[in-house]
Amino acid sequence: MKEKKAKGLAGLLTSERWADATVSVLAIILMLIAASGILLLLGKNPAAAFYSFLQGCGLAPKANYGGGSGMLSDLFNYLNILAPMLLASLSFIVAFKTGLFNIGISGQMLASGFLATICVGYAKNLSPWIAKPLVILIGIAAGGLCGAFIGFLKYRFNIHEVVSTIMLNYIISYLTGFFINTKYVDMLTRSSRICSANARLTWTKVPIKGVSCNIPLGIAVALAAVFVVRFIFDKTAFGLELKIVGASRSCARYAGVNVRRGIVMSMALSGAFAGLAGVVYYLGYTNTMVPKTLPGMGYDSIAVALLGNSSPVGAIFASIIVTIFQSGANYMSSTIGVAKEIASLITGILLLFAACGEYMKALGRRAVERKEDRILAERAAARTKGGEER
Amino acid sequence: MTKVFTDGLSFALPLLIMAIGAIYSEKSGVTNLAIEGFQGFGAFIGALAAILIMPRLSSSSQLPIYIAILFAAVGGGIYACLHALLSINFKANQVISGVVVNILAVALTTFFTSAANTAINGTASNKFILGVSSRYSIPFLSKIPWIGGLFQRMYPFEWIICVLAFIFWYLMYRTRYGMRLRACGENPQALDAAGGDVVKTRWIAVVISGALSGVGGICFAYSIMANFSPSIYMGYGYLAIAAMIFGNWDIPSTALVCLFFGLAKAGGQQLCLAMKLSGNYTDLFNMLPYVLTMLLLIFFSKRNHPPKACGQPWDQGRR
Amino acid sequence: MEEYIVEMRHITKRFPGIVANDDVSLGIRKGEVYALLGENGAGKSTLMSMLFGMYEPDAGEIYINGEKVSFRSSNDAAARNIGMVHQHFKLVDNYTIAENIVLGVEPMTRKFGILPAVNIKKANQDIARLSAEYGLEVNPTDLIENVPVSVRQRVEILKMLYRKAEIMIFDEPTAVLTPAEIDFLLKIIDGLRKSGKTIILITHKIEEIKQIADRCAILCRGRLVDVLDVKNASVREMANMMVGREVEMDLHKSPANFRETVLKVSHLTVENENHFPLVKDVSFEIRGGEIFAVAGVSGNGQTQIADAITGLAEAASGSIVLKGKDITRLSIRKRTQEGISYIPEDRQRTGVVMDFSLEDNLALRRYYREPYSGRGILNFGEFRKNAELLIDRYDIRSGQGPKTIVRSMSGGNQQKAIVGREIEEHADLIIFVQPTRGLDIGAIKNIHKQILKERDRGAAILLISLELSEVMELADTIGVIFSGEILKTAPAGSLTRNEVGSYMMGVREA
Repeated sequence: MKEKKAKGLAGLLTSERWADATVSVLAIILMLIAASGILLLLGKNPAAAFYSFLQGCGLAPKANYGGGSGMLSDLFNYLNILAPMLLASLSFIVAFKTGLFNIGISGQMLASGFLATICVGYAKNLSPWIAKPLVILIGIAAGGLCGAFIGFLKYRFNIHEVVSTIMLNYIISYLTGFFINTKYVDMLTRSSRICSANARLTWTKVPIKGVSCNIPLGIAVALAAVFVVRFIFDKTAFGLELKIVGASRSCARYAGVNVRRGIVMSMALSGAFAGLAGVVYYLGYTNTMVPKTLPGMGYDSIAVALLGNSSPVGAIFASIIVTIFQSGANYMSSTIGVAKEIASLITGILLLFAACGEYMKALGRRAVERKEDRILAERAAARTKGGEER
Repeated sequence: MTKVFTDGLSFALPLLIMAIGAIYSEKSGVTNLAIEGFQGFGAFIGALAAILIMPRLSSSSQLPIYIAILFAAVGGGIYACLHALLSINFKANQVISGVVVNILAVALTTFFTSAANTAINGTASNKFILGVSSRYSIPFLSKIPWIGGLFQRMYPFEWIICVLAFIFWYLMYRTRYGMRLRACGENPQALDAAGGDVVKTRWIAVVISGALSGVGGICFAYSIMANFSPSIYMGYGYLAIAAMIFGNWDIPSTALVCLFFGLAKAGGQQLCLAMKLSGNYTDLFNMLPYVLTMLLLIFFSKRNHPPKACGQPWDQGRR
Repeated sequence: MEEYIVEMRHITKRFPGIVANDDVSLGIRKGEVYALLGENGAGKSTLMSMLFGMYEPDAGEIYINGEKVSFRSSNDAAARNIGMVHQHFKLVDNYTIAENIVLGVEPMTRKFGILPAVNIKKANQDIARLSAEYGLEVNPTDLIENVPVSVRQRVEILKMLYRKAEIMIFDEPTAVLTPAEIDFLLKIIDGLRKSGKTIILITHKIEEIKQIADRCAILCRGRLVDVLDVKNASVREMANMMVGREVEMDLHKSPANFRETVLKVSHLTVENENHFPLVKDVSFEIRGGEIFAVAGVSGNGQTQIADAITGLAEAASGSIVLKGKDITRLSIRKRTQEGISYIPEDRQRTGVVMDFSLEDNLALRRYYREPYSGRGILNFGEFRKNAELLIDRYDIRSGQGPKTIVRSMSGGNQQKAIVGREIEEHADLIIFVQPTRGLDIGAIKNIHKQILKERDRGAAILLISLELSEVMELADTIGVIFSGEILKTAPAGSLTRNEVGSYMMGVREA
C-alpha cells in the first residue's frame, strides 16, 4: 500500500504535465510541517495559529469585530496587498522567461511609487477620473524605463542584470529617501505625507452591509495583467521570441530573433509590471512612503513566482497563499502571541522548499528509473530462465 | 583628512573579507549572491554569543568581541551549508538559491533576535546592543605624514582581517587546495579527471565564503552599527560582490577596490560635514559607492573574466 | 591460459532505454596497441569508461594483471596505472601546461620551512625532462589557452606519463588533428609501445588501425563482433563487421546541371573578438545545382564562413552577394527571407531549442510568417500541420509526436528534424555544416540522398564537412581550407583524395 503511494508521487513528479504543480504542493505541505514544528517549539497550537492567519485575511470569521469593520473589510484589505504581490511576481516571471533575473523589483516599485506620489498624489484638485489613470500610467512608464535601462546596460556594457538591479535598488532607495526627508516628509510620522484620496487606487470607506470597506482597484489591474502576460507568452510571436531568447541565446540568433531587442523589451515589460506593483502598493495600500526602505515584497515576489512555477496563473495561487501569511500576521500575533515576523520566516521556508524543486523531480526520476531497471532485470532473468528450460 | 583614512579603512576591511569570501565561492564555480545573508546570519550568531557571555565579564572587557568574531565565523560557515546544499547537491539555480538564502537569513535572524531577547531579558527588542569596539593607534607608523591616518585609531578586528586576508590569499594562490579550487571554477571536468573531488572542493569553498562573510558582518556590527539588528542588511554584502567583479575575481585587486570604496564613503561623509550640510545630505553621499560601482562597471565589465564554470551545477554523470 | 594485462569478462552496462554493452569479453596483452573499432554509439567509449572507473558495470568483471578489480572512480583506475585521453580534453584554459599536468598530484614544498605550498619550479623541471624524454615538445610555462589543439593533446599524454600510467586509453585521438599531426601522433604511440606501455585506441577510422594497431576488437551495437589480427584482416572485412551488414558504397549521383550563380563571396574576412582573423580573404562562387564542399580539418575557419554568410558572424571585410543582391550587412532574419537555409554545426546549442516541443522547433525559423502567425498572433493549427508533415516526410521518430520535448529525442532524430525543417524551405542556398556527424550509416545515406535531391532541384549547396569521404562522395566542386584561407578550388573530378589531404595540411602546390 505504502509503495503504491510512493510510485504515484514519483509518477507525478516525472510527468511533464504535473511535475511543477506537484513540486509546489509538496513545498507547501513541507512548509506547513516546518512551520507547525516551529510553532510547537514555541508552545503554540499550530492549527489555531493557521486559522488565525485566515481570520486576519477575512477568509474566516473572527470572534468579534471593531466598529465599522467586518469580515468583508478584512477581505478587501487582504486583496489590497494581494494585488501588488501578484503584479510584482508577474514582473519577475516576464524577465525569468527571457532568462533574466529581475532582482530590482523593489527599487522599481519604489521609484514608480515615488514619482506617482509626487506628481499626482500631491497634486491638488485633480479629478479622480484623471488622477487614477495617470497614476497607473506613471507607474508603467517609470518602471518600464528603469527596466529598459537595465536591459540596455546588459546588452551594451555586459553588466549582469543582477548586479545592476541591486545597485539601482540602493541608489533609488537613497535618492528617494533624500527627497522625502528634505521635501515631502511628515514631521510626525517621519514618513512621506499621505497622498490625496483622489489619486489613490482604492475607493475608501465604501459602506457595504454596514461595514466600511476600502475597495482595491489594484486587484482588477493585477488580474488583467495576468491575462496580458499569459496572452503574450502563449499566443503571440513576440512572446515566443522572448521564450526562445530565454531558452538559448545562440538558438535565438539562429532563428533570426533580435536578441538585444528581446533583452531590452523583456526588462522593460518586467519593469512596467514592477512599476504597476509599486503604484498599487504605495498609492493603494500604504498611501505613504518610509524613506530609505525598500519594499520587502520585491523579494517575496520571487518566492511567489518560483512557487507558481513562473506561470502567470500559478502566480495567482501562489500569491494567495504567501499573502495569507503576510496579511494575517498582525491578527495572528495579537491572538496567538507569536511575533509577527514569523510571517516572513514562513515565506522564507516556503521559498526554500520551492527552490528544492529540481531535486524533488530528480528524486522522482530516480525512483521511476530504479523501478524500470528492476522490471528490465526481471524480464532478462525470466528470459534466460525460459531459454534454459527450452 | 586622517578621519577619512581611519573611517575608510574600518569600512574597507570588513568589506574586503566579505569580498574574499565571495571570491572563494565563485572561483570554485558557485555563483554567490548569498554573501548578504551569510554576513547577517554570521553576525547574528556572533552577537548572540557576545550577549550571552557579556554578563559574566567585566563591562570594560574586550573579550566578547573576539568571541563574537569566532562565533560569527562559525555561524556564517554553518549557514553557508544551506547555499552549498541547494546549489551543489540539489542543483538548484544558483542565483535563486542565493536570493532564497538571503530572504531566509533576514527572516530567521529578525525572528530569533526578538525571540532571544524575550528569553534573556523579557523584552521583544529586535536589537542586541553590542557597543563599539575600542580603537588603538600603532606607534611610529601612525606618525607618518599623509598616510599615517591609515594606522591611527584602528579597531583590533582590522588586524584580524588583515591577517585573515593574507592567509586566504596564500591558501588560494600557493597551496594545493587553492590550485584545485581555481581549476574547479574554470573547468570542473579537468579537476575530476585529475582525481580531484569537485563536490568537496566546492563545499569547502562555500563554507569558507560563509565564515569570512560572518566575520565581515560582525565587524560592521561592532563598528558603524554598534548593535546587531535587521539593519545589518544594508546591502554591504552586495557591495562586496560588486567589489569582487571590479577586482576581476582577484584578491589583491579586490583589496584596492575595497579601499577605494571605503575612502569614497568616508570622504563623502567628511565632505558633507565640512560643508555644514544637514544630515539629510549624508544619504546622497551614502549613495556614492553604488553610483561609482555602476559607472565603473560600465567602463570595466567588458574586459572582465568571471570563472568559466561559475553558475553551472556539476553533474557527475555528465562527462 | 594467456597472460593478459587487462581482461574484461562478460561486461554488461545498461542505460535507461538502451543496452550500451552486452556481454562483452576481451583480453589485452602487455605492450600491444589494441584498437576498438565501431560506429558512433557502438559502445566503445562506454566500455573504456568502465575500465577507467567512470561507470560501474551492471554485470561482469574486470581483471588487471590477473587481479580482480572494482573501480568506483577514475582515481581507483589511476591507482592501477591506467590513464585516458578523452575525446574532449580536460584542461584548465588559464593554467600553464605544467600546472595542468600536476593538478591532482601536485609536488609540494614548504615556504620558509613551514608553510605548505605547491612546488611549481619542480613541476616545470619535471615536465621539461619528461617531454624531452618522449619527444613530446612542450613549453611547461605556456598557458593552455595560447597553444594549439595538437599541443593540448600532448599535454594530455604527458599527464598520463607524469602519473606513470602503464595502460593508456586514447578516445578518438585523431578527430581534431591534421593529417601531418595524425602521423606525428601515431609515431608517438609507436614510441610508447616500444617503451613497454599498453595502448588502447578507440576509433572509427580503419586506416589508422591498419597503420598502427596490433589487434582490433570490433563492436557493433553494444556486442563484440570479433577480434582480429590487424596484419591479416582486410579493410573491407573490418568495415562490414563494424556496421553489421554489407555496406552499400556508392550513391547514385546524377551528372551536374549548373545554372546561374546563386552565391558570390568576395574577399571575405572574419575576425574573432580580439581582431584575430579566422577567415582570410576568401572568395568563391556557387551556382544553382552545384554542391560546393569545403574540406578541411576542424577549426580552420569553415564554420565562420557559414556563420558569416548566414549573418551569425560579422564580416570584417569583403562582400556576400546572393542572387545579385548584396546581403553583407543584412540582419540574420532578412537573409533567411532572401532564401538561405542553414543546418548549423552544433545542433543542440544552435539548431534546436532543447526544452521546446518538436512542433515549435519545426517552426523555429518561420513562426513569424504567414500562415504560422498573423498580426503577431500565433496560429498553432499551422504549427501542428507543419510538424505532422515533416515528421512523416523525414521519418522523425519521437515519443509523443509533435508534442515531444526535443531534449528527450535521440541525436539522430534531432538532426533529421533540423534537416527536414531547413530543406522544406526550398531555399536557393542551403548550407550544411557537418550534416551527418554522429549519425548511423542508414541515416547518413538518407541525408546524402536529400542533399543530392535539393541539388538536382536547382539549389546551390554549400557543404562543410570534416569527413573527407563525405566531401569526395558528394561534391561537384571542392574548396580546401587551411588556416582560414582557401588554398585550392577545383572541380571534384580533378582532385584525388591524397591531393585534397595534402592541401588540408597546408601544402600550397601538390
